[in-house]
Amino acid sequence: MQEVKDITIRLGAAAGDGIQSAGEILAKLLSRSGTYISTFNGNQSAIRGGHVWFHVHAGTHPVYSMGYGVDYLLPFTQLAYDEHYSLVNKGGIIIYDPSAVTARDLGADISQIKSPFLATALKYDKYPIMKNTVAVAEVAALIGLGFDVVEETITSQFAKKPEIAKKNVEAAKEGYGFGVQAGVRKALKYSDKRLPFLHANYTFSIGAVAAGCRFYAAYPMSPASPIVHWMTAHAKKLGITVFLGEDEISVINATIGAAHAGARAMCATSGGGFALMQEAVGEAAMTETPVVVVNVMRTGPSTGLPTKTSQGDLNMMLGISQDDFPRAIFAPRNAPDAYDIAVRSFDIAERYQMPVMVLLDFQIADGGYMTIDHDFEPVDINRGKLLNSDGTDKELHNGTWFRRYQLTPDNISPRPLPGTPNMMYVAKTDEHDEWGHDLSDVLAGLKESVLMREKMQEKRMKKMEQLKAEMKAPELVGQTRADLTVVSWGSSANPVREAMEVMNSSGLKINALEFSDIYPLNTQAIVPLLKSAERLMIVEANYTSQFGGLLRKEIGIDIKDALLKYNGEPIYPVEVERMVRNIMVKEVESHVH
Amino acid sequence: MAFSSFKTDVWVDWCPGCGDFGILSALQMAMAEYKKPASDYAIFSGIGCSGKIIHYVNSTGIHNLHGRSIPMAIGAKLANPRLEVIVAGGDGDMLGIGVGHFVSAGRRNVDLSVLLFDNGVYGLTKGQAAPTLPRGIKTKSLSEPNIDTNLNPIALALTAGYTFVARAYAYDIKFLKDLIVRAMKHRGSALLDILQACPTYNDINTKEFYGSRLYKLEEPDWDGVVRKPEEWNDKYSKAMQKALEWGDKIPIGLFYQNELVPSYEDRISQRLTAYAERPPALQSISTSDGTIMTDLSELLKSKRVL
Ligand SMILES: Cc1ncc(C[n+]2csc(CCOP(=O)(O)OP(=O)(O)O)c2C)c(N)n1
Ligand code: SF4
Ligand SMILES: [Mg+2]
Repeated sequence: MQEVKDITIRLGAAAGDGIQSAGEILAKLLSRSGTYISTFNGNQSAIRGGHVWFHVHAGTHPVYSMGYGVDYLLPFTQLAYDEHYSLVNKGGIIIYDPSAVTARDLGADISQIKSPFLATALKYDKYPIMKNTVAVAEVAALIGLGFDVVEETITSQFAKKPEIAKKNVEAAKEGYGFGVQAGVRKALKYSDKRLPFLHANYTFSIGAVAAGCRFYAAYPMSPASPIVHWMTAHAKKLGITVFLGEDEISVINATIGAAHAGARAMCATSGGGFALMQEAVGEAAMTETPVVVVNVMRTGPSTGLPTKTSQGDLNMMLGISQDDFPRAIFAPRNAPDAYDIAVRSFDIAERYQMPVMVLLDFQIADGGYMTIDHDFEPVDINRGKLLNSDGTDKELHNGTWFRRYQLTPDNISPRPLPGTPNMMYVAKTDEHDEWGHDLSDVLAGLKESVLMREKMQEKRMKKMEQLKAEMKAPELVGQTRADLTVVSWGSSANPVREAMEVMNSSGLKINALEFSDIYPLNTQAIVPLLKSAERLMIVEANYTSQFGGLLRKEIGIDIKDALLKYNGEPIYPVEVERMVRNIMVKEVESHVH
Repeated sequence: MAFSSFKTDVWVDWCPGCGDFGILSALQMAMAEYKKPASDYAIFSGIGCSGKIIHYVNSTGIHNLHGRSIPMAIGAKLANPRLEVIVAGGDGDMLGIGVGHFVSAGRRNVDLSVLLFDNGVYGLTKGQAAPTLPRGIKTKSLSEPNIDTNLNPIALALTAGYTFVARAYAYDIKFLKDLIVRAMKHRGSALLDILQACPTYNDINTKEFYGSRLYKLEEPDWDGVVRKPEEWNDKYSKAMQKALEWGDKIPIGLFYQNELVPSYEDRISQRLTAYAERPPALQSISTSDGTIMTDLSELLKSKRVL
């Protein structure tokens, strides 16, 4: 037996084979044994026959991404074998059922264990579905887990159906026996600590509700749908009103309406839905209404690849609808990050009275769980210049109306809520004066109106200056001085971290700058970090290096070495490492010449 | 509050003779008669000549994107159901660009009053054919007759599920005012199709055109109110039949009302028992010093159970 710091396990099967729940059982087994996990759900529905896979990376220390290669491969179909065998590491193991899979000659570096998953499953049930249980139990034995945790996990998985639980436990016992026979291979150090895992759609929802979000609107769209499911499931307990609109346009308008009325309100969608929302995001900025809008990215323009991952929507967020208006953009790196950013988003939206956009993506949201190792911190809530009283002083009230868009030194106006006695006001989607009255009608073109348009545009845009100062600099991970600094944002930080740990332990000097506060960039804090770097490389999941473009535009730094992945698959640490080594070799060569 | 206290001193820039003036007066009178304080009303208006009305009524006015007032109003009403929510917008706004929202609102029956300013044209953009203009009609603003068939707002609202469906006339202010009050009192979504002239662009649907054709649906001949479930089939069918009447005689009045259908707020209350007391906008989310009030321990339980 070899004790290692991390292992990777991949299951592959036909769609409908129950691979997702088998993967989840595996994730639970490992989490109940004190290890950290990160998972990925690979749906490749386009391949003939349907093919899905589930990847688990587990470690004795926090893991963020896919890990390196595959240590244990469980291919339930020939297609799964053919698709994934080349990823198996030296010393790795393929466990397969010869009744479904014909193995190739892969040499002595890879062990291939034959196990009768199907025949065993059919001993306990007339359906083949329990072959997953048999296989997962076998892997549990191979990685040195005790059968007690397997039994406990299966029993709790089928808690509502004790008959089925019993059958599964019996089948698992046989599968576990196959593993024992083969002997424990790579094992982690286990403990009785239990670590929960979640994906970023859920942690963001928890953060939102912790921050007081009580109105949530959505139209179904993968991979954002888990948010509406979570909100609906928790609506009763937490007093959340959930609204399923007829389209994304109604969704965002209802969200703005609820925010207007005084609720902390949010909506979520994916890229296509967000494209429909754009005009209204401009409206939220114009009417100075705080809303939080989440875009859980998937791959491609148009309907794209609905179950695949990407970071391709940043440019849309930067360029939402017409003309300039203030906005904040965040991109949590992973599930734990998403909680903190949810909490901050609502405060920033309300303190600055502007829309806040959050970019998640399939990989960290619907597509992948991650261990949550810290408690969610209780939060302080700051609702900014929200007026609870009827502040009817003459400055702010002309006897009829409240001066909703008062020009103030900090460019943020006091905000009453509809329904507050004597506090009628006009909120206006057209350009307006301090009272919310039109500049485009009787006043159009008059000097007074031209000047007011300038003042109002400046008022809104200058909120960005203040916001900039409180946007966080990227997190510097690794040593302060390095030969190469890898820049990433949102979820692309995760594979970089894993690659960096491996490379630094092999003697390279690499560090990383991980951005999650995307816009406006706190240039004052960022410039020194980027300028002092020896050499820069960027990693992101889109074709044009959209974040690189933002840095070029805002900071004037052009990062030429870019790892750009846009095929819908997650970025693997090994891809980061390959690129880094390439750059470093060239660096060395250029010094030699 | 007196009628006059719902006026404002903002310059009204509608064209002379425009039907919007009558709608404005009727709305102000209705708000006064309904006796809620001005600050309890929230009027959501779209883009169009009609949408400017929020500036002329002394209450909170929220001016929205073209076509999007209905979902915006729904969001606000659901967040704070104590607001008296009114939607005001044009036939282009609500039956053109916003028709999906107009139809979908019927399924929900949120308690709001929709005032449809029905002038047959896109007034503010200089008189293109709006969805209520019949096919083959050529107003003075059109260079060719209208190529599209018109929508029937009454029949559409009935089909969509509105539980109060009425038509009024902008120049019969008292009749209009009474219907606005009834629409506000109605618990559920109310559609009030308000026929109005646009003297600047529509020389077909004029005061003269309507003057000779309109007649009132009134008791004892007409009663569109469903009071018992078994009346529904008959009253709904009759209302639909009436909705098709358009020609030498055009009915105005209350076609149909059915308060037996639960409002969306009632439906939420069935799920969230505390909703009426503590809707989203009226919940305390933090103490006065900003400390969070959400029970995080509950939330943590929702972390994937291991
Ligand atoms: C998204 C969008 N498209 C087009 C317009 C231009 N526009 C302004 S008002 C209007 C039509 C208004 O017609 P209607 O709703 O019937 O109101 P009326 O002026 O007749 O009262 C249009 C098309 C706009 N403001 N926004
Ligand atoms: S254009 Fe027509 S609808 Fe608009 S204000 Fe003038 S008359 Fe009224
Ligand atoms: Mg019109």
